Amino acid sequence: MGIKVTVNHNRCVGSRLCVGFLPDAFKLNGQGQSELITTGGVNAEEFVQTAGQCPQSAIKVEDAETGEVLFPPAELEM
Amino acid sequence: MEALILKDDLMAPEVVADPHTYYRKLRESERVHWNERWKGWVLTGYKEVVDVLRDPDHFSSDRMGYLENELTPQEREEIAPIFKVLKYWMVFRDPPSHTVLRMLLNKLFTPTAVERYRPMVRKIVQKALDKVVDRGKMEVVHDLAYDIPMSVVLELIGAPDLDREKIKEWSEAIGVFFFIKADEPRRREIACEGITSLVNYIEPLIVHRREHPGTDMISLLIAAEEAGQITYNDVLGTCVLLIFGGHETTMNLIANGTLALMQDSDQWTLLHKKPELIKKAVEELLRFDGSVKSTVRWAKEDVMVGDKLIKKGERLLVSLSGANRDPLQFTAPDKLDITRDPNLHVAFAHGIHVCLGASLARMEAEEAFAGMIKRISCPRLPEDAYLNYYPSVVHRALKNLPVTFHKL
Repeated sequence: MGIKVTVNHNRCVGSRLCVGFLPDAFKLNGQGQSELITTGGVNAEEFVQTAGQCPQSAIKVEDAETGEVLFPPAELEM
Repeated sequence: MEALILKDDLMAPEVVADPHTYYRKLRESERVHWNERWKGWVLTGYKEVVDVLRDPDHFSSDRMGYLENELTPQEREEIAPIFKVLKYWMVFRDPPSHTVLRMLLNKLFTPTAVERYRPMVRKIVQKALDKVVDRGKMEVVHDLAYDIPMSVVLELIGAPDLDREKIKEWSEAIGVFFFIKADEPRRREIACEGITSLVNYIEPLIVHRREHPGTDMISLLIAAEEAGQITYNDVLGTCVLLIFGGHETTMNLIANGTLALMQDSDQWTLLHKKPELIKKAVEELLRFDGSVKSTVRWAKEDVMVGDKLIKKGERLLVSLSGANRDPLQFTAPDKLDITRDPNLHVAFAHGIHVCLGASLARMEAEEAFAGMIKRISCPRLPEDAYLNYYPSVVHRALKNLPVTFHKL
């Protein structure tokens, strides 16, 4: 399954947890916020796990074909 | 007020009572200001605050390390019990040792993980309100706010039966140590007594859990210790930190938030009519008058912050409340607006030290406010009430909040 991962910079506080858990997929930008490097080599489940570690629920994981949101669940939306 | 800025007195009664006005004036005159009395920089602008908090490479949190350097050997000996424990607190550590502990503990505190405590919190709120609704009055701190976070933190460490009164007493003693320039000459001695008592109380629990592991936080820490990821000192220090840090700040958030909603009754009414705004409302209450006003960092090397050169070793008082009212980041920052969105406040700090318990605090506050909004009218301060805050640069903590209301 192809996935789409986005980081919401109106929510990201730069905890670096995603970088710690998936260093090949995330890096910090010049503002100290997280940015996706690539979705390659990481499966959807790992992205969902890591997105769940974000204290701000700033990482959104979607099915690239259907647009189905795999994370965060609706109740975590602010 | 301008004279007060010149005197740099962060503990002046008028600053403790109303830090927002003081920090606004300071921000308007100098966003990065050298405070001669405290001998450090005070940051009140959002951008500067965020830049520092998100940059652990240039700014250290090693409070105990820097403190150790300032003390004489005799002073160090006097507060040895404090060092022995606080040195291992995650909040005072830099990477890489910070990272190991944070990544380990984080899984217990994610937005999803904390949901398991929501039903319990809802019940506590209901029970607390059951006791007061017919009376038409309560003291928010003790009748409602105190019990919620304390119950949750004890549940989290797997020890719901610990003596809350004792823990509260010792935590207050430890807290004395953190009040910058508090008017208590015995503050270090008091803190030592508090921490020793708390350690003596917790250690048998760790021993017991080592023999009978469960799914609680202590068991998770012990497993990591036994796997060689962390040390026993990390286990003990973290337990003390969670018990100490886990209840007071959320208690204050609930009290400060209640007061903010009371003072802007249109916002209370709006939340009553649209309870679905609760998550946004909690974010706004965190921004508007959160329970932690500031945090401290030390420059690891010479570095520019805003237009000022900070020299290696100098300390910075990072004003979270100052940043949260910066008009360059927030429109009409002094207005409570529970629909505010986006609202990237710094109430839990930013960067690697962003509050571990943030999701827990949010959930607890949501339940407390949602419970009140449903069952009581917008509270009022009794006419003879006087708002009294603990004299602290760090905490925004009401001693009590007596209110009257009527049952809905």
